[in-house]
Amino acid sequence: MNPYNYLYVSALLFTIGAVGVVVRRNAIVVFMCVELMLNAANLTLVTFSRINGTLDGQVVAFFTMVVAACEVVVGLAIIVTIYRSRRSASVDDASLLKR
Amino acid sequence: MSANPYIPILVIFAIGFGFAAFSVGIAAVTGPARYNRAKLEAYECGIEPSPQALQGGRFPVKYFLTAMLFIVFDIEIVFLYPWAVTFDKLGLFGLVEMAIFIGTVFVAYAYVWRRGGLEWD
Amino acid sequence: MTFTAPVLNYAQLAPMLIVLGGALIGVLIEAFGPRASRHASQLFITVASLVAAFAALVRVRNQSSVDAAMGSVGFDGAGVLLQGTILIIALLSVFLIADQENFTALAAAVPGSSEERESLQLDLRVTEVYPLTLFAVAGMLLFPVSTDLITLFVALEMLSLPLYLMAGLSRRRRLMSQESALKYFLLGAFSSAFLLFGVAYLYGYSNSVTFAGIQASITGGSGNDVFLLLGIAFISVGLLFKVGAVPFHAWSPDVYQGAPTAITGFMAAATKVAAFGAILRIFYVAFANAEWQWKPALVLIAIVTMVFGSVVAITQRDVKRMLAYSSIAHAGFLLAGVIALSKSGLDASIFYLFAYGIATVGAFGVVTLVRDSAGEVTDLNRWSGLGKRSPLVASVFAFFLLAFAGIPLTSGFIGKFSIFSAAYETGSTAILIAGVLSSAIAAFFYIRVIVLMFFKDPVEDGTSVVIPSALTTTTIAVTSLITLILGIFPAPLINFIESSAFFIR
Repeated sequence: MNPYNYLYVSALLFTIGAVGVVVRRNAIVVFMCVELMLNAANLTLVTFSRINGTLDGQVVAFFTMVVAACEVVVGLAIIVTIYRSRRSASVDDASLLKR
Repeated sequence: MSANPYIPILVIFAIGFGFAAFSVGIAAVTGPARYNRAKLEAYECGIEPSPQALQGGRFPVKYFLTAMLFIVFDIEIVFLYPWAVTFDKLGLFGLVEMAIFIGTVFVAYAYVWRRGGLEWD
Repeated sequence: MTFTAPVLNYAQLAPMLIVLGGALIGVLIEAFGPRASRHASQLFITVASLVAAFAALVRVRNQSSVDAAMGSVGFDGAGVLLQGTILIIALLSVFLIADQENFTALAAAVPGSSEERESLQLDLRVTEVYPLTLFAVAGMLLFPVSTDLITLFVALEMLSLPLYLMAGLSRRRRLMSQESALKYFLLGAFSSAFLLFGVAYLYGYSNSVTFAGIQASITGGSGNDVFLLLGIAFISVGLLFKVGAVPFHAWSPDVYQGAPTAITGFMAAATKVAAFGAILRIFYVAFANAEWQWKPALVLIAIVTMVFGSVVAITQRDVKRMLAYSSIAHAGFLLAGVIALSKSGLDASIFYLFAYGIATVGAFGVVTLVRDSAGEVTDLNRWSGLGKRSPLVASVFAFFLLAFAGIPLTSGFIGKFSIFSAAYETGSTAILIAGVLSSAIAAFFYIRVIVLMFFKDPVEDGTSVVIPSALTTTTIAVTSLITLILGIFPAPLINFIESSAFFIR
């Protein structure tokens, strides 16, 4: 199978994630879209690793997984705190700073 | 020995399969068959599956805290695999570096433990 | 496949390792130290590790190698200068952070809950902010010296994650602070996903994750140019977000306003140094030979950033938001140094970063002093007449504003002059014109604030200037002194930067 097909899939996933971040209103869903983007990047890396025949891309993917997990923890901590204060996780409700 | 290096792995598989088949088979033949409610529940598969979480549909914040802690410590293991594969070539240097890495993870663990992150109530 | 065991140069990595070690000790103090002495011991550990890291940096200042950590960290003159700048800014900011009035008692408590009132009565303080600061500083130190894409990405996250949390720690206006943390986090994570996607395409283009390998591929010209373009574009989005360049600036006014003021100062100054360090290195080392592909876009972004930041700053009613838009304008000026792509551009950028970072910490230090009974007052209307009540504080703030505006006898003038002349030398006349125009616009709103402070009648609503603590006084005094000295005798620092600033390839 042509490995370039995986590049198309990952670009599609990345786009879906990016669009989701822009249009969705729930902080958790926005956050899940960001994770989708990171995973799309991971898929790209692994595909290029296969196309190029080197391992570097897979090493990057390892680091990305760990960094993404740390990001999940920090992000969920912030979202849970906000939710407890406001009883809502909508990014539209968080508008004290808008002028 | 000139045998194929994969033969030991196949032997392990065979032993494992044999043991599992033997255990299941022997239990069905020799065990008493008395069924009750507790026995029919899902076996060691976490909490009782139900359409809603307790107290009306929301998981308590404690659940997220525990889940987050699990994920962040769990994912660190990812670095152990490449390290284990190249362990022979890395030698003492690799061992010391990995010990330092595990040490830093334990620092975080100590913080979580002392500040009550592991207490459910 | 051959495998070579890694060799690390510990002397050159020492500054980062010391800061990380200090952060780990800080975490252990949080876990095991008695609550009463936590604040003092944390402050001691933080200051000690920053000073020790600076000493370790001075010891290896003349070394340079690409092999500090197997080609992942490039140690060179520019890296030393940037790391030194970050450490100095961090130390001065820690003095502001130590004035703990600004921080919440219990970050996890719901605002207005009995839990929070209880912790306020017990006079608790969040001391986690010190280890978080050190972790962020370690990431900032790594960011401008990273010479491969993995290190670049990890360093970016290392400096960002603690800052997201620190933005939510404000003692007063908790909801606003938490909201700024959420915005900063969501947009920051969004941009780092872009950066990672760019990393993937650059790896696909060059079959290498090191800057040197990418440069070699660009020179060789054998790869797929579409991958290269995508890679440069996505990586630039991630990096430009961090410095708050238009159109990736949306987070910065909100975060600057919502975060505790001491944290805002640290974030504004140190993040900008680290991120511009990384931008300079990646564009000067990795992408230099693909100039024709990124330069037009970057010129456009620089011009839009300068003009937008300066124009929108005029309409701001809040001093922290005004400083945020001013920092956006400064990001535009600094991009002029990146576009110059010359030795003089590099020298000018490093000088500008140092001067701007120091003045920013000082300016936010002054903002922490203006308070009423409910905390800091950041509404500009209530600052009117401040010069009549507290002439010294108002004059110091006015001095920092003049430095931002680039008036002679301040460090800002030297910085702007050298960066625009570097841009002009390399033929970017459009940048020069836009820069001078937006500087003029910017000067207008800085001077408006000065007029407001000195020539308007004071408002009687309890706004006053508190007597600063010894640490805050130190920060404000040192920063204003450096800003003044660099404005009058810039030659020693300029010569020092000229003789040592270079990027190893």
